[in-house]
Formats: sequence, C-alpha cells, structure tokens
Amino acid sequence: MKSPRLLADFFRQTWHIYLFSILFHLIANIIHVNFPKVLGDFTNELESGSLTTDAVIRYSWLLLGIGVGFALIGGLAQYLVMYVGRLFEFLTRRRLFTHFTGLSERFYSKNGVGKLLSYFMNDVTSVRESISMGVNQTAGATILLISTVTMLFLSDIPYYLIIACIVPLLSIPIIVTKFGPVIRKRSMSVQESLGTMTESAEEQFGGIRVTKKFAVEGIMNRRFGETVDRIRDNQLRLVRVSSIFQALIPFLGSLSLVIALALGGYLTITKQISLGSFVALTLYIRMLMNPLQQIGNVINTMQRSRASLARLNDLLGNEPDIKQFEDALALDFRESGIYVRDLTFAYEESSRPALRNIDLEIKPGTTLGIVGRTGSGKTTLMKLLLRTYDAPPGTIWFDGTDIRELTLESLRGQIAYVPQDGFLFSTTIRENIAFYRRDASLAEVESAAKQAQIYNNIIDFPDRFETKLGERGVTLSGGQRQRTSLARGIIKDSPVMILDDSVSAVDAVTETDIIETIRAGRKGKTTIIIAHRISALKHADEIIVMDDGEIVQRGTHDELLAQEGLYKTLHAIQEEGSQHAAGH
Amino acid sequence: MPQAINNWQMDQKADLSQPAAKPKYISTFRALSSYAKPHWLAFLGVFLFTIIAIAAELLQPFLVKIAIDDKLIGGNGDYSGLLVIGAVYLGLSLLSLLFTYMQNNLLQYAGQSIVARIRKQLFEHISKLSMSYFDRVPSGSLITHVSSDTEAINQFFNQVLLSLLRDGMTLVFIIVLMFQLDVQLTLYCLILLPVIALIAIGFRSYMRKTYQMARTRLSRLVAFTAENLSGMNLIQVFHQEKEQGKQFKERNDSYFQANVREIRTNVLFNRSFEILSNISIALVTWLGGKAVLDTNLEFGVLYAFITYIRQFFQPINTITQQWNTLQSATVAVNRIWGIFAIEPEVDDRKDAKPLDPAKVEGNISFDGVTFGYGGGSPVIRDLDLHIKAGSMIGIVGTTGAGKSSLISLLCRFYDVSEGSVTIDGTDIRNIPQASLHRVIGLVQQEPYLYSGTILDNVRLFDETITREAVIRACEFVGADPLIRQMKDGYDTRLSERGSGLSAGERQLISFARIIVFEPKILILDEATANLDSHTEQLIQSALQLVSAGRTTIVIAHRLSTIMQADRIIVMKKGEIVEEGTHTELVDIGGYYQELYRHSQGKSMTEAG
Repeated sequence: MKSPRLLADFFRQTWHIYLFSILFHLIANIIHVNFPKVLGDFTNELESGSLTTDAVIRYSWLLLGIGVGFALIGGLAQYLVMYVGRLFEFLTRRRLFTHFTGLSERFYSKNGVGKLLSYFMNDVTSVRESISMGVNQTAGATILLISTVTMLFLSDIPYYLIIACIVPLLSIPIIVTKFGPVIRKRSMSVQESLGTMTESAEEQFGGIRVTKKFAVEGIMNRRFGETVDRIRDNQLRLVRVSSIFQALIPFLGSLSLVIALALGGYLTITKQISLGSFVALTLYIRMLMNPLQQIGNVINTMQRSRASLARLNDLLGNEPDIKQFEDALALDFRESGIYVRDLTFAYEESSRPALRNIDLEIKPGTTLGIVGRTGSGKTTLMKLLLRTYDAPPGTIWFDGTDIRELTLESLRGQIAYVPQDGFLFSTTIRENIAFYRRDASLAEVESAAKQAQIYNNIIDFPDRFETKLGERGVTLSGGQRQRTSLARGIIKDSPVMILDDSVSAVDAVTETDIIETIRAGRKGKTTIIIAHRISALKHADEIIVMDDGEIVQRGTHDELLAQEGLYKTLHAIQEEGSQHAAGH
Repeated sequence: MPQAINNWQMDQKADLSQPAAKPKYISTFRALSSYAKPHWLAFLGVFLFTIIAIAAELLQPFLVKIAIDDKLIGGNGDYSGLLVIGAVYLGLSLLSLLFTYMQNNLLQYAGQSIVARIRKQLFEHISKLSMSYFDRVPSGSLITHVSSDTEAINQFFNQVLLSLLRDGMTLVFIIVLMFQLDVQLTLYCLILLPVIALIAIGFRSYMRKTYQMARTRLSRLVAFTAENLSGMNLIQVFHQEKEQGKQFKERNDSYFQANVREIRTNVLFNRSFEILSNISIALVTWLGGKAVLDTNLEFGVLYAFITYIRQFFQPINTITQQWNTLQSATVAVNRIWGIFAIEPEVDDRKDAKPLDPAKVEGNISFDGVTFGYGGGSPVIRDLDLHIKAGSMIGIVGTTGAGKSSLISLLCRFYDVSEGSVTIDGTDIRNIPQASLHRVIGLVQQEPYLYSGTILDNVRLFDETITREAVIRACEFVGADPLIRQMKDGYDTRLSERGSGLSAGERQLISFARIIVFEPKILILDEATANLDSHTEQLIQSALQLVSAGRTTIVIAHRLSTIMQADRIIVMKKGEIVEEGTHTELVDIGGYYQELYRHSQGKSMTEAG
C-alpha cells in the first residue's frame, strides 16, 4: 500500500506560495542588509568632511526607504507563509476527520480519544509550526545571514576581524539546540505536575462526601499540598535552566561586541579600517544575533515536528479494517431473516474466543431475547451483526447474502441499535433524537420521545426539545440518557431493532411500560432485546441464554423455566430474591 | 496548542453557565500585595537585580559612543582607553548575565511560593465549606478555580510582573540615557511616544478580539472532534459519517477564517511598528545629521540614538502584550477572593463538645423535623423518628420522597429548619462536625475510591491505621481473597478511581473502610443498587457482618435489601406514610405492597 506523504502532497499543492514567500524574503533581506552599510557610508562622509545638508536628507530618505521596504516586503513574505501554514492545518484536519470516520471500533478500542485528539491538535500544529515558522525563519535568517556575511566580506574590514567577532555568535545555535530540549522537558514536567494537581483536586472534590464523612480533611489537605509543592519545585527547576539560557544569548552578543570594540577599535585607531566600517561592523553584529537564535529555534521545532509528522503519516496509513466490497449490494431487511452459522469469534487472534459455535435463526418479524452475565458475549454478537467488527466469512447471513456482501448503508441503515451507555451529543435534544433522520418533523420527534417515555421529562425543560445537552447545557441522568437514546432508535423505524441493555438504568415500572410500547409498536418487525431483568424479555419468541461465549440454553420463557439451568436460577434470584435474602 | 486541549478538558469539567462576575471588583495588585508582604525582601532584591541586569545592555551604545567620540574621532590613538571601555563592557555583560539569572530565579521563587500558598489555602477553604455548597456548585467549577484561576495568578507573576519590571525599567532607562545624550533630539523622539501608544492600544484591542474569536472557534472544533471521536461507534452504526463530516467542515472552515484574520492583524501590527521605528530612525538621522553638520552634536551621540530608538520598540511591544494576561489574572483573583469570602453554612458552635466514641450507644431521634433546601418548600415535614441503638431500619420511597435528605440531616450536611436531631440525647448541632462524622459511617451507592493503593483506600491515607488493621477489616468483610488475587495484593494501585474493579468489589472496599473507622452508626444509601444479582448476594452477606452491633439505616430501591430489617419506614413526599416489618407492611396492603409487587414483576403478569 502506498504510504501517505502528507508533506509531499501539500508542497505539491502549494509550492508556488512558498516560492513567492522565499522570493519576498530574499528581496526584503537584501534591502535590510544595506542598513548598516548606509550608516557606515554616512559616517565616512561625515568624517571626511564631505557631508552636505543634501546628503543628510538623502541618507535619511535612504534609511527610511530601507526600513519601509523591508517591513512591507518582509511582511508580505511572512503573511504568505503563515497563511500557508494555517492552510496546512485546515486541510490536514479535514483529511484526518474523514479518516477517523472510516476507522473501525477495533482501532478506537486501542486508541483513546485523548491520544487521537492530541494527533489532531498537537501534532498537526507542530508540523504547521515547522513548515510555516520554520520556513519563514530559516528563509529569513539564512538570507540575512548570507547577505550580512557577504556585506561584511565585501567591506574593507579584514576577514580575521569578522571571523573573530562572529565566533561567539556561532555558538548561539548550538546553545539553543542544547538548551531547547532540556527546557522543553522541564516545562513539560511543569505541565504534568499541574495536571496532577488538577486531577487531585478533581478527585478530592468528587469524594468530598467521603472526606467529610470520615473527617479526614487534614490528610486530604496534606495530599493536595504535596501536588502543589511539586508544581513549585518543577517550575523552579525550569526557571533555573531557562533563565541561564535567556541571559546567555545576549551575553554572547555582548562578547562579540567587546571583540569588535577592542580589535575593531584598534584597527580604526591605526587607520587600517575606516570609522564607517567600524560603525557598520557593530551594527552588523546586532543584526546577526537574531537570525542565529532563530536557526536554533527552527532546529528544535523541526526535531519535534519530525516525530509528529511520522505519527500523522502512520495514522493516515492505517487502513480501515471494515470495508465495503466494491460489488456490495443492498438488501431489504423487512423480508429477510438473520442467520448465524457456527460462529466463533475472538477479538484478537491469540486471545480466547469471545463467542463460540453460535447458531441462531431470527426469522423476519420475530423477537429474540438474550440474557447472560456481563462478559458472556451478548454485546459482541450485536457488534458482529452491525459489522463494527468483522465476523469470519460465511458465518452471518441475511437470507442468502453474507453480511460482508452488503453495503454498509443498507446494513446499518436498516438496523436501529440502542446501546446501553446512551451516548448523546452536545446538541439539542431534538437533534439527538432525529440523529438518523435529520429532517424529521417535530411531531415525529415528539412521538418517538413519547414511546421512549422521555417526553414528560423533556417538556419540563425550559427549552423543551430545543434544550441543549452536554457541557453548556443540561445534564441528563443515566435513565434519561438511555431513554433519549432509545427515542433516537425508535425514530429510525427500522426493519430490525437491537436493544442492548438499553433500559438498565430505568426503574422497573418505567421499564415495563417501555417494553410494552415497543412490543406494540414493533409488531411484525424483527427485534432483539438484551436485558438483565428477565421481565423485559420474557415475551420474546425465542430466548437464548449466553454464558462464556456460548449459547447454553434456548427456548421460550416457559420452556426455559421448566428446565434446570442458568435461566431458572436468574429468574429465581430476581423474582424470589426476597426469600433468598430473608433466609440468611 | 496543548493549551487548546487543556482548555477543552477544563470546559468539560467546568460549568460555564455560572456567571463569573462578582459584584465587588478587587484589584489584582492590591489583593496579591498582602500575600507578597512576607516576600518583600525578595521583591526588593528582584527590583535591584533588574536594574543591574538591564544596565549593561543599555549602556552598550553609550560606551560605543564614548569610544567613537573620545577615542576614535579624537584620533589620539589612545588604545588603552579603548581597552578600558571594552573591559568595562565585558564586566557589565557578566554582571548582566549573573543578575538576569538571579532576578529571574528570585522572582519565580517568590511568585511560586505565593501561588502555592494561595492554592493550598483555597483548597482548604473549599474543603471546609458545607455540603450544601458542593451540592449547589458543580465540582467542575471548583476545579477551575483551584487550577486555572490560580494558574492565571501564576502567569501574573511570571509574565506581567516580570515584564513590567524589566521592560518598564528598560524604557525609563532608555529615555533617561537619551536625555543624557541630547535633550533636544530626545524631545523630538518623544513626540512619537503618543503615536506609538495609540497604535499599540488600537491594535491590541482589535487583536484581542480576533484572538478570542479564534480561540472560541478552536474550542468549538476541539469539543466537536472529541465528542465525535468518543461517539464514533454510534455515528458509524447510524451511518452518519457524511453528515457529521459536513458539520465538522463548517467548524473547521470558520476556525480557518479566524486564523487568517488573526495572521493578517498580527502581520499588520508588527509591520506598523517596524515602519514606525524606521520613521523614527530616519527622523533622527535627518535632525541629528543636520545638528552634527552644525557641529553642535557629536557623531557618537547620533550613533547611540539610532541604536536606542531601535531598542525602544521591543519593550513597548512586550508590555502591551501583557494586557491580556493582566485581565485574566484580575478575573481569576476576583473569583478566588469571592470564594474566600464564602462562609460555611453549617458551622461548629463555639461550645460544641466532641463525643467520646467509646461511649456512644447510637440512639437516634428526629423530633418534629422540618427541612427545605435553601429555604425552599419543605422536602421533610414535621417528621418524628426514633431509632434504638443497634437496630436496623430500612427506608423506602420513590425518588424525591425525602430519604436522602433525611440522611443529609443526620450527617449534618444541612441544618434542620425546625425541630432537632439528636444522638443519645445530644443535639447534633452541639457536636463538632469532625467528631459527629467519625461516629456516623456512610456507604454510598457509588463508592468513591481514590487513586492510590487498596491499602490507602481502605484507611483513607491515614497512616496511623496499621496495615494489619486494614487486612483484618478486609478479611472480615470477605474482600481479602479478592485483593490477594490482584497483582500487588494490598499495594495494588487503583487506576482511575478503581475502574479496574467491578461495582461489587468497590463496594466491598468501602465496607472495609467502615470496619476500620468503626462508626457506631451506619448508613447505607442505596448501597446495593446497580449490582447484578450475583454480586448482590456477596454484598448482602458482607452487609450482615458490617451492620452487626451498629445502628444501621438502609435506604434501598430493591426491597430485597431491607426485608430483614427490624423496621421499615415508607416515605412519601417528606412524610412517613407506613411503618412496620416486611410482613406487617405487606399485610396492610398499602403503598409498600404496591412497591413489592412491582419489584416482583407481577403487576405485568396480572395486567397482561
């Protein structure tokens, strides 16, 4: 497979902008570098006594011209490169997001949101910095450096003087690259300790009831205090390095100037160089300090961003493992049953199978109930039906078609899945419910909400269905979230519906009502109900009991009660828990 | 950019709907000065060091001027004089190196100590506040105060103060030196000052706006992406990739536009400054050059002037950049001082006497208790309840019946509006809270675990409690075999508040806590909800053990938990409506019986 080359692609698109920018940098710096020379000439004319009032005015205009010319053209160069950097960010993020939507759950289970977000934000930015700031500064600094040095060598200043003055400055990039990573490391440990303190505060305020109830405030204050002290210590450690660094660079500049003063002064006194050259030399040295420091910075940025770029390319090289076949076809699920044949599935090849020898027939229009402990494989089976993971070929069929032969749209568009966690987005309640059908009318949304028994809660909110959820809006309780998520599944009105422990956080009375409504509403449509409480699924046409990845029992409610087994035990615990507990 | 993620995470935790504005404005400088007082010597040192540090840098053009005017133009070939100037300059540079270093470290030391003190005090103060405060204020905004707001103060010391000292003094020095050199030329240059200030202020406020716009759009983008990443499974299952992609594009576009605007402003601002600085140089050359021609100005002075003008713009630029930081520090200080001003609502009385834990029997009485949150309509009305020492009471009722409020009153998280709560005849308002809390143990529905070892979680980091005591407690509640199975036994560190443990295992650990701390009264607040049937069995037997010899109050959703209680109280709308043992209550055929039927799932069978 072709490995993505993020930067190469980008440069191919934008090379002309870079070209212009570098060109402008070139012109700007060539103009700029004349500044000390003009001032030097001015000095020479002054000293030789040939300076006239007209010349003074001419020199002033010349200096102004140089200044303004450098500012404008340099500014343009800067703008172009910064623009192009942001463009990179913009395009890359768009590409990343599209890529993210294609990656499967297998990928997300291995990569946390925090990590992916850091790719998306930090790494993209870090690459942007080096291709905008890096290019900007390298171009600016190199051109300035070359032209300054050329100017110096073109003047009557002897080479050994120039070299003697420049030597201390040359150590600037070395110092920057030496100190840069150390400073960065220490500043990261400051950030980390800050994070630790935040976590500690979060933890302690979250557990304030415990703290108060056990009257251990003193101990908790001490624990928090430790995290605070650690920030201070880390911060001071950082300052110790960074302040040396900050002081060292101007010092090296001063050192150069001292050499220029002593050696250059001597040459001026002995008339080996003109006063003008001396003046120009001191100004050139000031001019060199900046680009040298920038080159050091650029080296550091480049080093950091190389790792970032590698990570981004890696990420984009990650091919989605769930792919639609090119000749995939669409199928109408209203007429087709779901068949599982001898399905054995493990998340990793080496790990224990999560499902073993599953055989299952769900005829169109029937209801299947699934019970089993946490970790018995119920949800895994559902994930395979939705193809968020791929089952082995030939194990899952929709009528005569293997699940892999279906288009993803036809598969996922016709199954309404209601997960247990009730994940909602930070938009309005209405938008959340109408997630699958964005153009659904308010009446449809309301009807779905009524069926999910959430309508009354929603109309209690000030903005009713337009109430925003999440961060800046209201927070729903676990049960309310589940019911909203259920409404989202209901409005889809699909031929197949999967309730994956979807009402577990709802109290028993409401659960009963919901199940009743769904039973009535979904007559003639396929429904799969996973539940902990047996009362939720005892009306199913078939109930399977899963344990440790296998179907251990199957039948109707009454048939299962007649057998000895897990179902009967579970039923006993739930129905007659009272007798159990009282018997102790 | 990591900042953006931090901000987003902060926003996640914080409650932004809270109005930040406080009625009283507090000046940052004044507020912090009381904290700075103990460090006055350090600040004085910083001030002096700064002067020395910047002196070397600023004297350089002055020294070159002397070199040019006195040594080079004079042309007397006095090389030793030149060497002296060189040596002086070298010396000054070394001093600058040294004092810049010391100044930075000293300022940071003082600043960091102050910030650390504020952080600790703030945390301590917040911990002291009553539960009512925590119920009202989301913990997210408290965390923001402790971390972001104090960080803003840190930035104040780090940046604002440093820049004000260093850049401010640099400016003053430059102006003084320029006056020293030539008064007339300086006055001409100073005409520029108001122009610079105007441009700087104008641009700054505009830049702030563009910057804020970019920041807001960035956090929108981050929040959207983060949310979509965590909900990706759902997006895929609903086949909404395209639709979400469209929404993403809209946010990405708007952020890009804000960025371009920001760049434009930035470049424009920098370049205007640059041009202004060049105009000044040309002006000085023109005026100065003429003056030199008329020989009332030495050339070295002109040289120095040109160099100073170039140095003049840097500090101005830096200082104006501090405005934003100063503003956020002001907001932060106001918020923090606002919290300091809050007094705990439930306070220890001066004459409160601690209970002797050994002598507490555990008789509890609620006498004519009425209570409403924040003076609102009462959630508990004229309630009388007497619980004998050592007995077990179950409380049932629907959400909002007042069960949890009753418990909050007993723990004195809130004070009663009317009536009184007593333990062994002592009004709990006459007991110091710390002492009261040691007597009453509370096990919550969601046991709270800290990041730390299991050992520390059981003894709550109290090192006066021995390891043996912890192990004994765990053995007692039946958690020991389970803990020994873990990687490092009792020293296993729990990640993310015990996310590696099941709900039941977490609950067992919280039971062990009770055993270790030995409260005489035990409250179980829906402690067995959310458990699957198997784990519940395990917990039930542990519960039997823990409640032995203690006055125990059990609040439950599931009736199975409380059926064996000595007495069951049924609450509805803040009142006790039924009371008795399980059998008695079922026989009455009232509300309890209805609840019981529902829990059995029988109502449906009858209906269907």
